[in-house]
Amino acid sequence: MKPYYKLVTGFLYLFPMVFSLASYADGMVVDKVYHPYVLPFEREVEWRMLSRKTQSGNVLAQRAGLGWAIAETVTVEGYAIGERDTEDNFDLAAYELEMRWQVVEQGRYWADWGILVELEKQHKTSAYEAAIGLLFEKEFGKLSLTMNGFVVREWGSAVENEWEGEFRAQIRYRYMSEFQPAIELYSGEDFIGVGPAVIGLYRFQGQKQLKWEIGFVTELSQSVNDHSFRLAVEYEF
Amino acid sequence: MCNRIKLILLGFVGILYMSSLSADNTISLVLRDHLFIPAQLEVPANRKLRLVIDNQDMTAEEFDSFDLNREKVLFPRRKSVIYIGPLSPGEYRFFGEFSPNTAQGLIIAKESRDAS
Repeated sequence: MKPYYKLVTGFLYLFPMVFSLASYADGMVVDKVYHPYVLPFEREVEWRMLSRKTQSGNVLAQRAGLGWAIAETVTVEGYAIGERDTEDNFDLAAYELEMRWQVVEQGRYWADWGILVELEKQHKTSAYEAAIGLLFEKEFGKLSLTMNGFVVREWGSAVENEWEGEFRAQIRYRYMSEFQPAIELYSGEDFIGVGPAVIGLYRFQGQKQLKWEIGFVTELSQSVNDHSFRLAVEYEF
Repeated sequence: MCNRIKLILLGFVGILYMSSLSADNTISLVLRDHLFIPAQLEVPANRKLRLVIDNQDMTAEEFDSFDLNREKVLFPRRKSVIYIGPLSPGEYRFFGEFSPNTAQGLIIAKESRDAS
């Protein structure tokens, strides 16, 4: 085996290990795999839906977001998050502010890197969450490997103060713009889930485009039923 | 020990930086009157390339190519750099999002001995 491949293989093993050092159980891990790219002038509205079915019932979470690029390589996005609990009550649950920074020019180095910072506050309770994430993407011909590693801090009087780690990965085959099949992995908070996804993009005039992501994730680490269906629609203008 | 690690890291970053700026791999394009000039380029396959686009128009354009997996805003009166490849031999289309009917181009990647 060539030293180059050893380096690549070693890195691909190390990245998820570093970010899964601390995992505790109190939330939903399946969300979205972030790409480390930002376009100047980018503005977007986004809607995400996650339906998680476990033996104790079904939990639905939705979030609506508005984002815009504030610099050539930095974009910010604000979200309102609503959740329906197992007793069928749907309500505003939290707000979130997110900043994504494209650190290197796409394709310039061996891989592309970005940084994501998030701050979330629960609507009705004193519970806060801050996260910093490292975003990675590497092309292998028509395949794109994307990995996100997050370190999360939770605090407040309504939650236990703790550190968490999360890891997300996606291998996407860029078959055609409207149809890009993928395999996704989500790990963290005692959860390891894997499943198929489809990503697509339809372009209108100018910068206007519609992106969608549909994924189905099955929990692997527990013997109980735990399936998540996620849908994200993003309109850029 | 700490200095040694810093030196290794600096060397690594330096190698990456130099390898990304190799002048031999630079290809130049001009965007004028919402047209890419030349509209067709032959490039060596299996090499990382530095595509420099000089947007001479007074308006911004957005370089877009699903084939190349690149999107980049080309600011007016400015040169922008897009790193592409290594490309397998074949054809790769690109266009300008703001003038998709006129700003179109094609990159043809050929094995080194065939590329002009």
